[in-house]
Order: sequence, then C-alpha cells, then structure tokens
Amino acid sequence: MHNKAGFEKPLNALWWLKHRFFKAYMLREATVIPLLFFIGCMLAGIYSLLQGENQWLAWLGFMQQSWVVGLNILALLASLYHALTFFVLFPRVMPLSLGDYRIPAWAIVAGQWMAVVAVLLFFGWLFL
Amino acid sequence: MSTQELITQELITQVKIQRYLPEQHNEPYWQTFTVPMDESTSILDALNHIKEEQDPSLSYRWSCRMAICGSCGVMVNGIPKLGCKTFLRDYSGPLKIEPLAHFPIEKDLMVDMDTFLQHLTAVQPYLIPDFINEQPASTEPYKQTPAQLAKYRQFANCINCGLCYSACPQFGLNAEFLGPAALTLAHRYNLDSRDTGKDQRMAQLNSHEGVWGCTFVGFCSEVCPKGVDPAAAVNQGKVEAAKSTLIALFKG
Repeated sequence: MHNKAGFEKPLNALWWLKHRFFKAYMLREATVIPLLFFIGCMLAGIYSLLQGENQWLAWLGFMQQSWVVGLNILALLASLYHALTFFVLFPRVMPLSLGDYRIPAWAIVAGQWMAVVAVLLFFGWLFL
Repeated sequence: MSTQELITQELITQVKIQRYLPEQHNEPYWQTFTVPMDESTSILDALNHIKEEQDPSLSYRWSCRMAICGSCGVMVNGIPKLGCKTFLRDYSGPLKIEPLAHFPIEKDLMVDMDTFLQHLTAVQPYLIPDFINEQPASTEPYKQTPAQLAKYRQFANCINCGLCYSACPQFGLNAEFLGPAALTLAHRYNLDSRDTGKDQRMAQLNSHEGVWGCTFVGFCSEVCPKGVDPAAAVNQGKVEAAKSTLIALFKG
C-alpha cells in the first residue's frame, strides 16, 4: 500500500497500556469475560433443570458457593459498567429526533437508565 | 504559572524531538532542544524557532498556523495534536514531539500519508449526481434547506489532518482499514440531500475494511481538532450498512 519507503514501527501487543483512554476501552471490552461465566452458569442451570430434581439441587448448591456468588456479582457490575458506556455512546450512533426537534443526548441516556429501572422493578415484582 | 510571571520572566523550556534522517541513520533517535517560550508559544512556533535559530536540518510540515490547513500534525507526549493549536503553556516538564503515529516516517516529523489519501479517494468523497433519473448538466444551483444542511454539517468540518488515524489503534494494527476520516467523509456525502452516490459507496463501507473494522475505541473523536466526532459518523455508518444488508437480503 505504501508507495514511498519510510521508517515503520508496527504496534506491539501492549499498545493499549500507553494511554488512559485505551485502558478504559480495554476495560469496557473485558466486561464480556465475567459475563461469559454468568452465561455458562445460566445454561448449566437450564440443562440441570431438564435432567431432573437431583441435578437441579446440585446446581443450586454450586450456585450458592461464595466464589460463584462473587464471580456473578462481578459479572453484574461488569454488565452495569458496559451499560453505562453503551448508553453514553448510543445518542452519538443513533441521534433521535421528533420532527425537527433533536432529542438531547442526556434525555436519551436518562431514558435508557429509566428502562433499566423499569426492567428491574418488573422482575422484582414477578419474583419477590 | 501566572500570566504575570510569564510576562516578566524570560522563560525557556526543553523540547525532545524524534529525529529521523534516513541518509545518516537506520532508526529514529531523540534530540533535545532548548527554546524560549511565552504565553502564546505554540508547538509550531517552537519548531520554527529551532529550524531558524538552531538546526536548519529539522524537517516538518506546516502552512496556515490557524488550524485550517491540517498539515502540522505531530504526536505531543504520545497524543496526536496540531502543532499550531497546541501551546507550550499547557505542559509542564520536558515535551516529547514525534511524527504522527501509524504512518511510515519519511524524515524527522514528516510522515508518508499516501495510505490515508488513498483511503479518502476510495470512498468517493464528492457529490455524485443522479445521472439516471436527472437530465445531465442542469445549470440550476442545487438548493438545500438549513435542516438538510444541519444533517451533515458537523461531519463536513474535517480538514484531513490525519490526527484521527494516529489515534486509531485499528488503523495502527491494519493499514487496510479505511479509517475514521475517510469513513466520516463517506457518511457526510451519504447524508447530503444533493447526493445520490450512497449505493456506490456502500460496497466499500459495508466491508471488514470499512465501518466494521471499527470497534468504537472513540479516541479519534477525542483528538479531532475540529470537533467532527468521527467515531459517531463511523458508527452511524454501521447502522446504514446494516440497513443496506437487510434491504439487499429481502430484495434477493
């Protein structure tokens, strides 16, 4: 692609440690890792439910171990952090308008958090 | 440091510049210069001072001194900046100036921007008139309402300085990625009411080297000296690319 000769230094694998902004980006991307654990737990739960009562009780026992609870709390915090970054980016990717009125970014972000609260209240009402 | 101090004292500061003279050295090396400064000294002023008073062999690009030509981009302490729009007063301690990252260095602070220019050309960043439905070469001006202008105006402020390419790790990892400015400009023309070239541009945009090469690191928008927000444009481009894929799917 380059027509002229010149000195080139390829990026090394630790490029993201160079700047605070890149570290925040990598943290955002890394939130998927604890989430994978949570998804694994959930799929195992559904599978053991199909296997019968003993398997289900064994799964419940597994889920109550402190390290499993700890990792799932981490997964919850990670997904909330990811939501925070996502909600802020959303109005930039999909700017919304009502006719000629451009809905301000803060209103879109607030709307998304209200939706989160609504979902939490709904499931709270359903299960508690 | 107060303004009063700056006025009454003769201030000097140290500037470390990455030099690269391909005829004499195989690799870049650092050279430290001492330059006078006051409240209004920009990085570009400091470079000019070095070239005029200390070392005429120093090479760098510049032209307008007012953040409109886009030629004086350099890395200042590892962050892409326009030399004319960045001031010594905002830094304490030694300053490190390097050529723009992710481009091959030709000499000192000058980089080879050919890749960037090829990417710009690739997205056809100009109005493509509707040759099929419209009689060619209308002499009437294309009219546009303020609302139609507002849709793309922000993205039209790009000065092609290339700072966003130096901020983009995806471009650093893969130079085939069209990159922030080219994708933004493509989006700017796609949004223009006078343009009908969206379908022609979509093949380029809707590819791995196009919008999908972006992972929304977002640093491009942080460093943009004109407030263009390329990250927003590229990711709005993803929405358009996804729509175009869906439409193509249903059309069969």
